[in-house]
Amino acid sequence: MKESYLILEDGAIFKGASTHDVESVGEVVFNTSHSGYEEMATDPSYYNQILVTTAVMQGNYGAHQEFWESEKLHIKGFVCLEVQNSSRDKSWQERLKDHNIPLLSEVDTRTLVLHLREQGAVWGGVFNSPDKEAAFKKIKEMKDEHLLKDWTEVVSTSSIHHFDGLSKDAGHVGVLDFGCKKNIIRELIKRFSKVSVFPSKTSKEEILSSGISGLLLSNGPGDPGLVGEPVEVIKNLLGELPVMGICMGHQLLGRALGGDTFKLKYGHRGANHPIKDLDSGFIFMSSQNHGYALKESFKTQGTSVSHLNLNDNTVAGIQLKEKDCFSVQFHPESHPGPHEAEYLFDRFSSMVNKK
Amino acid sequence: MSKETVKKEKILIIGSGPIKIGQACEFDYSGTQACKALKDKGYEVILINSNPATIMTDPNVADHVYIEPLSTEYIEAIIKKDKPTKVVPTLGGQTALNLALELHQKGILEKYGVELLGATPEVIEAAEDREKFNAILDKVGAKYAKSYMVRTLKEGEEAIADLDFPVILRPNFTLGGGGGGVAYSLEEYRQKVANALHESPTSEVLVEQSLLGWKEFELEVMRDRLGTFVVICSIENIDPCGVHTGDSITVAPQQSLSDKAYQEMRDEAKKITEEVGVQTGGANIQFAVNPANGDRIVIEMNPRVSRSSALASKATGFPIAKIAAQLAVGATLDEITNDITGETPSCYEPALDYVVTKIPKFAFEKFHGSKDELSTQMKSVGEVMGIGRTFKESFGKAYRSLEVGSIFREDRIFFKDKISYPNSQRMTHIFQSLRAGISVDDLYHWTKITPWFLEQFKEMVDVEKELNSDLEKNYLKAKRFGFSDEDVKILLTKNHEKIKELSSKYKPTFFQVDTCAGEFASETPYLYSTFWSEVESGLKSQDKETVVVIGSGPNRIGQGIEFDYSCVRAVKKLRQMGYRVVMINSNPETVSTDYDTADVLFFEPLDKESILRIFDAVSPLGVLCQLGGQTPISLSKDISEAGYNIIGTPLDMIDLAEDRARFSKLCEKLDCKVPSSSVVVNYDEALEFASKAGYPVICRPSYVIGGRRMEIVEDKESLFKYFETNREVFGEGNPCFIDQFLEGGLEVDVDLIRFKDGCFIGGIVEHIEVAGVHSGDSMGVFPPQRLKKETQAEIERISVLLAENMGVLGLMNIQMAIKNDEIFIIEANPRASRTIPFIAKAMGVSLVDFAVEAMMGLKMPESLKSFRWDSIKTVAVKGVVFPFKKFPETDSILGPEMKSTGESMGRGENFPEALLKAFQGSDFKIPKEGEVFLSLREKDKKELLPVAQKLSELGFSLTGTKGTAEYFVEKGLDCEVVNKVLEGRPHCVDRIRSGKVNLVVNTTAGRQSINASYSIRRSCTDFSVPCLTESEAAKAYVLALTENKSGHVRVEPLTLTL
Repeated sequence: MKESYLILEDGAIFKGASTHDVESVGEVVFNTSHSGYEEMATDPSYYNQILVTTAVMQGNYGAHQEFWESEKLHIKGFVCLEVQNSSRDKSWQERLKDHNIPLLSEVDTRTLVLHLREQGAVWGGVFNSPDKEAAFKKIKEMKDEHLLKDWTEVVSTSSIHHFDGLSKDAGHVGVLDFGCKKNIIRELIKRFSKVSVFPSKTSKEEILSSGISGLLLSNGPGDPGLVGEPVEVIKNLLGELPVMGICMGHQLLGRALGGDTFKLKYGHRGANHPIKDLDSGFIFMSSQNHGYALKESFKTQGTSVSHLNLNDNTVAGIQLKEKDCFSVQFHPESHPGPHEAEYLFDRFSSMVNKK
Repeated sequence: MSKETVKKEKILIIGSGPIKIGQACEFDYSGTQACKALKDKGYEVILINSNPATIMTDPNVADHVYIEPLSTEYIEAIIKKDKPTKVVPTLGGQTALNLALELHQKGILEKYGVELLGATPEVIEAAEDREKFNAILDKVGAKYAKSYMVRTLKEGEEAIADLDFPVILRPNFTLGGGGGGVAYSLEEYRQKVANALHESPTSEVLVEQSLLGWKEFELEVMRDRLGTFVVICSIENIDPCGVHTGDSITVAPQQSLSDKAYQEMRDEAKKITEEVGVQTGGANIQFAVNPANGDRIVIEMNPRVSRSSALASKATGFPIAKIAAQLAVGATLDEITNDITGETPSCYEPALDYVVTKIPKFAFEKFHGSKDELSTQMKSVGEVMGIGRTFKESFGKAYRSLEVGSIFREDRIFFKDKISYPNSQRMTHIFQSLRAGISVDDLYHWTKITPWFLEQFKEMVDVEKELNSDLEKNYLKAKRFGFSDEDVKILLTKNHEKIKELSSKYKPTFFQVDTCAGEFASETPYLYSTFWSEVESGLKSQDKETVVVIGSGPNRIGQGIEFDYSCVRAVKKLRQMGYRVVMINSNPETVSTDYDTADVLFFEPLDKESILRIFDAVSPLGVLCQLGGQTPISLSKDISEAGYNIIGTPLDMIDLAEDRARFSKLCEKLDCKVPSSSVVVNYDEALEFASKAGYPVICRPSYVIGGRRMEIVEDKESLFKYFETNREVFGEGNPCFIDQFLEGGLEVDVDLIRFKDGCFIGGIVEHIEVAGVHSGDSMGVFPPQRLKKETQAEIERISVLLAENMGVLGLMNIQMAIKNDEIFIIEANPRASRTIPFIAKAMGVSLVDFAVEAMMGLKMPESLKSFRWDSIKTVAVKGVVFPFKKFPETDSILGPEMKSTGESMGRGENFPEALLKAFQGSDFKIPKEGEVFLSLREKDKKELLPVAQKLSELGFSLTGTKGTAEYFVEKGLDCEVVNKVLEGRPHCVDRIRSGKVNLVVNTTAGRQSINASYSIRRSCTDFSVPCLTESEAAKAYVLALTENKSGHVRVEPLTLTL
C-alpha cells in the first residue's frame, strides 16, 4: 500500500492508500448501496466516473464474473474506506489492478461524501502525488476531451447482435444500447422470444426492418442533452411500437416528448430510494444511478408523470399511453439493488406481446 | 365535529414484564417509543406492565399506567375499567403476543369489542405454529430445515433415510435438552434415538436436519397497510448456526453476502411477511446460508418488535417501534417523516457508512455448576454495541464496552475446545490462538466462522506486534482498529510515556448516525467516534451550558434497567432546566440510547478514554456520575483527575463510601454500628476473629468476582473447611474479608436525597427475607410491615446523619440490618439504587427529578419539606425473577451473591394483596390446592409451624422429610413422610418430578446440607414447581396464597403525587 490522493477540481484533497499506482480522472460520484461493488464497476453508466462507495468494507465476498453488468470495468477509479486485503482473497483488488483501474482505500469517505453533497458533482482524479496544480491540469485536459461529448456512443455496442429468448411464444424486442446493463438483457430474455441489441446511433428504418415489436431504451452514461440523433429516432419511432426507457433511456424518451433534462446537484446513486407508482399507489425501493433528471414539463400532450422519487419529489417515471411508451429513471433490472420494480418489464412484455 | 368534542380513542399497550434472559429492556425501549408515538397521534394510552424498573411505567409516559401482573385476569379488569377499543400486542415481546392470543382464545377481546392492532391471532399462530409456518414457506417457495417427529425406532429409521448427517435430536418435554444431542453417523443416530425415546416422557423425538456451521443472518423488516415493505437492517451473526442469535456476536449491515444473495433473501423476506399476514409493523426473519453452496433456509420469523429490532433501531437510527406504533393505527411509511434527516420520508432502507458490532454479556460466573456452553438456549444477560467506521473499529469498541478488560494482551495460551465448542470465552481464545500462530484456515475448520471475520481478527492481532516494533507508525492504525490507549499501554513493553503524546496528537472525529450514509443533511446529534477522519467535530455548545450523564453500560446481574430509568429521568429533568444534555452509553437495548432522549447522544464505550475524549469535544459544565450505577462511579476518579467537574457528591466522599476502612471509621465517629469485620489471611486469624465476633460469619476474597466464594460460615468446623477448600485463594496479598453476620436480622434499603439545605428521605424498603440474601434477590415491601415506628425513625436519623457527614449532594442508598432493635449499617452508596424506581412509583414522587435539582445545587423545594414517604396509603411489594431454568446445573438457593435478572411490583390495598401481585408479576405460580412438600432445617421447624398449619387449613396436603414430617405430626398435623434422596427410591425428587407436588418449602444451611438438598430445588426449577428456600419468604407466600383464595382482582393506575 502506498499513499495516493483523490484531488478534486475545487481544490479539496483526500489522502488514501493504493496498491497499484495507476492515475486517472473522472467525475467523482458516490453510491450508498451496501453491496454490489462489482455490478456497479461494470455498469456502463459509470463511464468516466470515479466511484466512491459509502459502504465501508469493500471486496468482502470476492470477485465473480457472473456479477458483471457488461464486458468491462467502466469506472475510472474505485474509492472506499477499506478493501479486502488478505492473503486468502484479495480478488476484488486484483480485478481492479488487472483492468488498470485505480483503487484508493483508507479514504475518509464520509467527509468526502459530505463534501460532494454540499459542493455538488465535481471532477477529480486519483493521483500518486499531492501536487494540486499538476492534478488540476490533468483534470482539465480530461474534461476538455470528454465534457461536451456524447458518452453513450462510446459505450454502446458497435454492431447489432441478437439473443435467443426463453419465452418462445412471445415477441421479438430490440434494445437501443446506450450502455446497456446485462441484466436488462437477461430480464428481456426471460420474457421474449428474441432480443436484438442495436448501436445507439441506429436509424429508425434499420430498427423497424429488423422485425422487432417493442424497443427498450437502455441506461447509459453522461449528459442526455448531448446524445443528439437518437432523440430524433425515438421521436419518430413513437407510435410505431411500444417503447420502454430506463435511466438514460428515460431521459431520452422525455426529451423526445419535448421535455428537458437537468443536472442534479449530486445525483441519486444507491439501492434504497423510495419510488411511488402514481397509478397503483405502490411504493417500493429502487436501485438508482443517475446524475441528470427530467423536468416536469412535456410538450407532447398526454404525457404524464407515472412515478415519483419520494426523497426529493423528482420525476422518476413518465408515460404516454396513446403511444404505448413509458420510462423510468431508476433501474428495474436492479443489480445491485432490490427487485421490486421488475413488474415494469412485465408491463413492457404485456404491451409488446398483446400486439 | 369540532376537535374538542371528539373523545380520545383509548389504546392498551401490553408490556413485557420483568427483565429475564431473552426478554430484556429492549422492550422498555420499544414500549416507551410506542407510548410516545401514540400519545402524539392523539390517543389516550393505557399501559400494563408488571416491571417497575422501566421508563415505560413512568406515570407520564402513558396516560394510565398500570403496574399489575401480566395475566388475562388483570388485563380484563383494566379493559373493563378503562374501556380501550384497541390493543397493541406487538411491542411487549413474546409475553405480550402470548397474552393477546390468550385474550382472544378466552373470548375477552370479543366480549369487550377490543381490536388487536399490528398482529391478528392468525398471524401470531402462523408464525408460532411450526406446521402452519412450514406450509407458508412451501407456498412462497422458501426452504426450511427438514424435521420429523419420531415416536418409534421404526419411524426413526424412516426419518433418517430422508435426512443428511449431522442431525439434531430433540426429545419432547425433557428440560435442558436432556437426552438430546447431535448424531454424526448412523450408528450414533440409532443409539441416540433409542436413548432419546426413553428419556422423553411422551416418547417423542424431533429429528431435525442440523444447520451446524451454516452462516446465520437476520433481516429486520417493516410493512405498512399499503404493502410498502422495507428492510431496516440486515444483521450477520459471526457465530454460525448452533448458537442462539441473542448469544451470538452480530454485525450490521451484513458483510459477507453478495448483492445477488442478499437481494434474494430480501425477496423471500417480503414474501414471507406478506404470506404470514403481517398487516403493519415490524418483523424479523432469520435465515441460515450454507457456506458451501449458498443454499438458504428460513429458521424462524417473529411478527413483532424484537430484541433485534431494538439493536437494528440503534444501529441504523430508524425508530422501528415508534414507527410500528404509528403504522398500527393506520399511518403509512411515506406519510411519516424520517426524524433524523427531518425531510425525507420513512419509506426507505437505511444506508450505513459505518459498521456496528453487538457482543452479548454473560454471567456464567454467577451460576456455579452451570457449564459455560452456548447453544440454542439463550444465556446472555445483556449486550453492548460498538459503532466504528470499519468492522475492526466497531468490534474493538464493542469489546471495550463489555467492561471486562482488554482483549489485546500478550496472552498466547488457548484451549482448542474453547474455540471449537461455542462458549462465552471463545473470542479471547480465538485471539490468543491467533497470537500463538494458529492459521485462519485452522480456525475456520474449528469454528466455521466466516473466514472474512477471522481475517479481521488476525489483522487486529498483527497490529499488536507492530505496535511494539514501531509505536509512532502504528499508533493510529491501532486506534483505527478500535484499541484504547489503555489497550496500547498493556501491549507495550516500553515507551509508555509516548502514548500520551500520540494520544493528544491524534484525536477522534465524531460522526453522525444519519440513516442515509451522508446523502442528506441531518441535524440529529446521534454520534460515534472514529479515528478514520481528521475533521474537527465542532461540538461545543453555543448557547446553553452542557451537562453530561453517563449511562450504565451493558445490563448485567446487579446493574440493569433500573439505572437506565434514573439516567433517562435525569436527562429529561436537566433538559427542562435548560441545559444541553449529553448522554453517553454503550447499551443498545435502552431508552437512554434513543436518539431523542438527550440533546446529544454518544454511543460509545464507557471507558476512561472514550468519555474524556467526549468531554474534550463538548466542554461540559459538569458530569453526573450518580445515576448509571457502579460504572460511572468507577470512572469518577479519572473524570475528576482530568479536571472535569463531578456534579453532586464529591469524589472524596465517593471514595470514602467505597473504602471499607474509611467508611467504618466514619460510622464509628458518628456512633453508628457496623457489623464487626476484619481482614485475615489464614484460618488461624479467621478463627480468632470469629471467636470474638461470634458465629455465623460471612467470608469472601478481597477481590470479589461477582460474589464468588462468598459464604456464610456457621461454625468453627465450617470455617476450617472454608479455608481448606479455598486454600489456593488466600494468602498474603490476597486476604479474606470476614464479617460478623447478623443472623435473622431484618434488612432495609433506604434511599434519600440530600439538598444543600437538608435531606429528604425517599423511603425505607423492608426486605422480606432475613439477612443473608442479597438485597437484589430478596423481595421487599414498602412501607415496612415488621419494623417498629421508633426503629424507622432511628433509621431515618442515622441515614440523614450519614448523608450530612459524607457531604452527599444528590442521591444516596444505605443498606442496614436490624437485629433486636439494633441498627447496623452494612453499606452506603452515594448514587441511584435499584430501589429508586420502585419507591418513586410506589409513592408517585419523581425522586430522580428532585435529586437532579439537589445535585445542581438548588434548595429543597417546599413541596418535599411537607411530604412524608410513609404517608402512602397503598402497599407495594417487589418481586424477583431468576434465570435458573436457563442454567441446568445451577442451584436456586439464594445467598449473598445476586442472581436475579429482573423484578416485578405488586401494589395493593394491603400487604397480602401486594404480595400476591408481586408473586404473580414475577411468574411465580400460586397453586390453589394440592400437595406441599416441606424439608426444613431444625431451627425453621418451629418458625414455620404456623405456615404448615395455614396450608393445611387452606386444604393443601402436607408431605415432608422424616424430621420435618415427624415434627408436624407431633404438633397435630397430617404430614406424610417421604424419603430423602439418600434414603432410597421413591424419594422426594421422584415425587416432584412426577408432578405430584405443587409447592416446596426447603430451608437449609451449611455447605453439606445445601449440597444434599440441591436436587430438590433443581427438580422444582425444571418442573416449574414454586420452591421457597427461606422462612420469611415462605410466610409471605402463604399470605399471598390466602389472598389468592379470595379471588379479588383489583387494578389501580399509578398516580403522580409530586
